[in-house]
Amino acid sequence: MDDCKEFTKEKHAKYFLRCLNALPSSLVSLDSIRLSISFFAISGLDVLGRLDLLDKHREEYINWIYLFQILPNQDDESLERCGFRGSLAATLSLESHSPSHVGRSVNIGTVSSHPLDTSHITMTYAAINTLLILGDDLGRLQRKGILAGVKALQLENGSFAATLEGSESDVRFVYCACSICYILQDWSAINIETTTNYIINSISYDGAIGQDKNQEGHAGLTFCGIAALSLMGTLDSALNLKQKAKLVRWLVSRQQSGFQGRPNKLPVDTCYSFWVPATLKILGAHQFIDRKRNRQFVLDTQCNVVGGLSKWIDHSSDPLHSYLGLAGLSVCEDTDLVEMIHPALNVTMRAFNHWKKLTSEFI
Amino acid sequence: MAGEESKEPLSDSSDECSDQEPTWIYYRDRPEWNDVVPVELNEGPFPVVSIAYSERFKDIFNYFRAIVLKNEISERAFELTSDALELNPANYTVWQYRRTVLKGLEKNIQKELSFVRRIIEDHPKNYQVWHHRRVLVEWSGDPSSELRLTEIVLAQDAKNYHAWQHRQWVLDTFKLFDHELEFVERLLEDDIRNNSAWNQRYFVVKQTSGFSEDIISRELTFSVNSIKKVCNNESAWNYLRGVLAHYTTGLNGHPVVEELCQFLDENNSESPYYFAFLVDRMEELMQSDASKRQVLLPKADGILQVLATKMDPIRREYWLFLSRYLNSQFAN
Repeated sequence: MDDCKEFTKEKHAKYFLRCLNALPSSLVSLDSIRLSISFFAISGLDVLGRLDLLDKHREEYINWIYLFQILPNQDDESLERCGFRGSLAATLSLESHSPSHVGRSVNIGTVSSHPLDTSHITMTYAAINTLLILGDDLGRLQRKGILAGVKALQLENGSFAATLEGSESDVRFVYCACSICYILQDWSAINIETTTNYIINSISYDGAIGQDKNQEGHAGLTFCGIAALSLMGTLDSALNLKQKAKLVRWLVSRQQSGFQGRPNKLPVDTCYSFWVPATLKILGAHQFIDRKRNRQFVLDTQCNVVGGLSKWIDHSSDPLHSYLGLAGLSVCEDTDLVEMIHPALNVTMRAFNHWKKLTSEFI
Repeated sequence: MAGEESKEPLSDSSDECSDQEPTWIYYRDRPEWNDVVPVELNEGPFPVVSIAYSERFKDIFNYFRAIVLKNEISERAFELTSDALELNPANYTVWQYRRTVLKGLEKNIQKELSFVRRIIEDHPKNYQVWHHRRVLVEWSGDPSSELRLTEIVLAQDAKNYHAWQHRQWVLDTFKLFDHELEFVERLLEDDIRNNSAWNQRYFVVKQTSGFSEDIISRELTFSVNSIKKVCNNESAWNYLRGVLAHYTTGLNGHPVVEELCQFLDENNSESPYYFAFLVDRMEELMQSDASKRQVLLPKADGILQVLATKMDPIRREYWLFLSRYLNSQFAN
């Protein structure tokens, strides 16, 4: 592997720390979903094996996340709004904003103040994962509320929306829902059968999964579908051997150096270095990846000046591609560079083991 | 307060906007907004992933939060959402509230379609704008601008997933398939490798005629003609296989496909998709007729070795695996 660019681990760690601190105003479009950016940065540090850099402020990060939780009202009204907001930019509660509230050292969240002050399923997913990574015991999670919130987002056809109102519905949010239920070890809120059928119905004629029925097979969306099936435990009943074989060939065909997201779509993009290998790993077919070529590409996307990884070579870095590029190296088992990751949950095995320990204590 | 520690060098384009627009007045300075108490963001003493909001951004969103909490449905609330969306068209809460105001004021949908069209043109990969567009069309029941809109967006980026998704929804909801095959063919003439266009073709056929025997022949002929021109095109081969999956005898036997294989063989064509197709055909034959195994297995194996070592070495492990698999299935 010596014809690869040098892996500038410390620069990437510093990059994630800077993201955790502040983002440039050019990324203002991330305002409503800042919690998910914290997931990329914190999981990114974990994948780099540098979570120790957060030790000093670990409790403060955990506390910050809980700030966004939506609590049930008295009498459990509006339970379906519960879960996590992406930031306070998306919330409207006067109480949330009052100094006496936010100055608390032990946040648990706030009650929804308005019908538009609701959870976003991706943020609930990101919050739970990030809390796990930070070593939280999930003790402040409003499980009943979270599950009611997830349940309220499921459609009749099995798909999921992201928010109670005003959201599209597709397989991305199916994945978030399944991850949440898996971690909470509670599948009562979702209909596994309709969810599984929805994913099956989103399989394209080329064997991959699209965002919704009839849509183009796409590697990121295929990950969402396959990982969701895996977490639900319905992967083997949903796809027969022939379908799996067809999908494996489709996935394997995505590699050009790094990976592309769809046939004939170029240039390759760093994030697919996670989506494709992770899906192959879930299917037990990751040995077909050319690890060296992927590694070469991913290392080429490193940014010299600011650290982090970019989607293309000689492009600017961003939190998502920085994280997924590294997570991709992890799935490809480049363990001289990064820590091992759970391919379906997209957290390190260390975080996963912490979850296992927590869960055995619940039971 | 969040962003307080940010340094001014991170100042953004919206500050430049206010430089170019000397008439911009902060909401906090507008007398007609005196009755509204702005709601400031406060994420506590430990800001995380804080964004260096411009003054203008903070001002607009402080007032946005206040207006929503008041449930105010008014023209000024509507304009406030326009200001907010200009700065952050990804804020789904603003879009949702805007829809509430649109409905409450019974505003003109055509004007709103123009508004969102401008934002789509600037932000063609933003989920919220396409969702807003869809909701507007659902309300109006009028799809007359949608094919043109998506055509324009696809002219900029022929693979824009959102545009294709919206277009499929419009076609299916309003049954506007009449000229879609022509549209797809134009795009394929521009770029025979446009996977999105191939996918669209499959969608149109599926939703209109379905894959009857005649249509199967027609579609196979279409993809075969394409492959004869450009053999090394995964999209065309995936389409061919997708169509063939509706044909009961599999990869072997359809006259159009047999003719293709003969043509490619005579022309000494080389492409990993063609060679993989040959192997799959042989696998099917070996599966159904044991007497063919002795002849076909070494042929299939030979092709897989070529793929692994010369033609497609990045997938070496996969082709070698297939070779081992076929041997385990069909060797004596």
